[in-house]
Amino acid sequence: MKLGLRMWILIIVLFLALLAIAPWKFFSNGVLIKSVEANSSAFEQGLRQGQVINSIDGKKVESIDDFSEIMGAKNFSVNNSIKTIIGTNQVEFILFSNKVPKITVSQLSNSNLKTGLDLSGGSRAIVKAEDKDLSRSEMNDLISMVSNRLNVYGIADVQVSSITDLSGKNFMMVEIAGATPKDLSDLISQQGKFEAKIGNETVFIGGEEDITSTGESGQDSVIECPPTFNGFCNFRFTIFLSPEAAQRQAQATKNLTTDPANPQYLSEKLYLYIDDRLVNNLSISTNLKGRAETQISIEGSGSGSTLDEAYNAAQEEMKELKTILKTGSLPYKLKIEKLDTISPNLGKEFTKNIIFLGLMVFLIISAILFIKYRKIKITLSVIMTMFSEAFITLGIAALIGWNLDAPSIAGIIAGMGTGVNDQIVIIDESVSNKHLNMKDRIKRALFIIFGAFFTIIAAMLPLFWAGAGMLKGFALTTIIGVSVGILITRPAFASIIRKMEE
Amino acid sequence: MEEKKEDSPITEDMPNIPKPGEKFRFNYDKYYKAILVIPVIVLLASLIYIGIFYSEHGDILYKDVSLSGGTSITINGEIDQNLLESGLRTMFPDVSFTKLEDVASRKEIALVVESSAPPEQLKPEIEKVLGYKLTDENSSIEFTGATLSQNFYKQLIIALIISFILMSIVIIILFRTFVPSIAVIFAVFADVTIPLALVDVFEIKISAAGIAAFLMLIGYSVDTDILLTSRALKSKEGSLNMRIFGAFKTGFFMTVTALAAVLPAFFLFTGLPDSFRQIFLILSIGLCADIFNTWLTNASIIKWYCEKKGIN
Repeated sequence: MKLGLRMWILIIVLFLALLAIAPWKFFSNGVLIKSVEANSSAFEQGLRQGQVINSIDGKKVESIDDFSEIMGAKNFSVNNSIKTIIGTNQVEFILFSNKVPKITVSQLSNSNLKTGLDLSGGSRAIVKAEDKDLSRSEMNDLISMVSNRLNVYGIADVQVSSITDLSGKNFMMVEIAGATPKDLSDLISQQGKFEAKIGNETVFIGGEEDITSTGESGQDSVIECPPTFNGFCNFRFTIFLSPEAAQRQAQATKNLTTDPANPQYLSEKLYLYIDDRLVNNLSISTNLKGRAETQISIEGSGSGSTLDEAYNAAQEEMKELKTILKTGSLPYKLKIEKLDTISPNLGKEFTKNIIFLGLMVFLIISAILFIKYRKIKITLSVIMTMFSEAFITLGIAALIGWNLDAPSIAGIIAGMGTGVNDQIVIIDESVSNKHLNMKDRIKRALFIIFGAFFTIIAAMLPLFWAGAGMLKGFALTTIIGVSVGILITRPAFASIIRKMEE
Repeated sequence: MEEKKEDSPITEDMPNIPKPGEKFRFNYDKYYKAILVIPVIVLLASLIYIGIFYSEHGDILYKDVSLSGGTSITINGEIDQNLLESGLRTMFPDVSFTKLEDVASRKEIALVVESSAPPEQLKPEIEKVLGYKLTDENSSIEFTGATLSQNFYKQLIIALIISFILMSIVIIILFRTFVPSIAVIFAVFADVTIPLALVDVFEIKISAAGIAAFLMLIGYSVDTDILLTSRALKSKEGSLNMRIFGAFKTGFFMTVTALAAVLPAFFLFTGLPDSFRQIFLILSIGLCADIFNTWLTNASIIKWYCEKKGIN
């Protein structure tokens, strides 16, 4: 009965791990909606992040390629609104629009297992304040501001968190799965202290208090490329000032005189600074003198070697500027200490090789065990426990939403080695020491196993903190693996061996 | 002190061994103290080598850019290394290259370029040589600032020391006797020191994952030592030599399977992420050193101790 119980626990835990990993997601079709642009017709119709698109206009969508192919074939044009039927896992949405619906999609994951940046691609930055060690609460403030900025900028799948190292220093970590936004480093490290000055007087600064909103469409947000391309595209957008900021501006322009060289403008300009760097100066037309004007137009340009490049550069530049104006300045000067942008393409190759490696390890260990013990039953039960351990470890990783990076997987594979070691101890202890009864022999095996268990935990524990926790995954999977071994698979295995011997 | 076991159950217990090791026993009893000299010499040689290395390089190992600060750019596809090398060497004297290959086809899948220069300098130069832009589609860029990397390195070394101390505490609690505990701790110390000397000899640059592998080595290599010590001290069956030999048979096989888990990585070496390569390389060197240290060093000390204490 007692033996049965241990096996049952193993079987139940295996089943739970299966539920956690949910490998049947492999068979589900469609693409996952990663973002829907706010205020777009798709958004108004009810399409949201997290929904799964199965079909468009009755055609099956199974991959991102399908999605872009079907969308690309549709003939959207400014004066021709056309119908798009989007079938999701919930309901069908019918859109009428004259533009490609602003939806970004990603491949549906095959299971609940998530891979880390080094395998799935993406970017990661570790940032600290330049000349200050931030306390926990200061760090939290900073994190919420940077998160806000990235959200306003429209970056999906971003995670901003604080990490503490062995010496108690706090860092901010920004992780973006699957993508590398251009100018990421500017976006997170630029303090973004925006000031508009007339003369030496600051009339308004970035942030909600002074700038209530920025123009997003129509004449309030424009990108223009000259008909004969000269390497530049210009952008222009409107910002809307709060009444107080507008009043300050009125005060500052009240006593200005007319510029003698340009009589339609005032003698002082409106200077715009970002991080104390002059980025723009605007001439103020004379009819604004002393007036509390709430709308101000900001201009700039983007350059590139082709028209598309210049257009995109202008668009990026405008987006970044708007983000800074809206979210205001970060409280500290920041320094990027680590910045990794990982291409998703190489990660695919790595993943393929790692899976192959896992299988090889599995086969080689099985072969060696069989050669040594020459008993199918023993070999099979060792292999089963080895497999169970790796599988349950993956299940726990899926359950806690751990991103399996390469070191984490290395921990699982290395853990397969220790797991087998423990089983060899159980087998050898149970066949030697014939003068002891079986229970005592297993007990002695467990002494060795527990000893090894505690040393490996002791040895790996410091990795949770050292090096800003970058190798936490390695320690985590190793510790989960050996713990699963000691608590679940080893007792079950010992009971199998006891049964075989008796 | 070992003459009693011609009747011991050893032949039935270990049917795979033809004769219960007459020769082994004979040699071992006579030479086990002499045998101890070998690992001590190897350990001393390793320590001296690391010492000299330290005096020459100001550090105990070669660090890669993740620990020394700098940029690592991985360019996907088949890249002409010679072209890049000649284009970059003058501006970045410390630039180094690693090729990544697909395991099956041996086709080059990427080239890793490393330098202590920041990406703002390295990237445009590479683009200039290659004649195209590096994007997140065709390349990966990893940059670690000098301050953070030094901080990382320092902390990982501290973690290694803490790990060693924690392991020692566990061992002392486990055995509660001085000499056997010290024997295990000494063997683990050698398990870390010898691979460290070897990676220095082979001029392998160690990354953060590599140091993590040293931590794992501490936990990974200790199980055979625990097995040996517990069999030698706690078991009553057979003679001391037979128990040590029995432990050796089990423990050696354990290390062989552990190596089997680690070695396949070498066939796939060029197609794996750096962290994998580092971890598996160091674990495999360490496991080999562990065979040596457990069965020469630790076994000899334990035998010596048991003879002194009259355990047999």
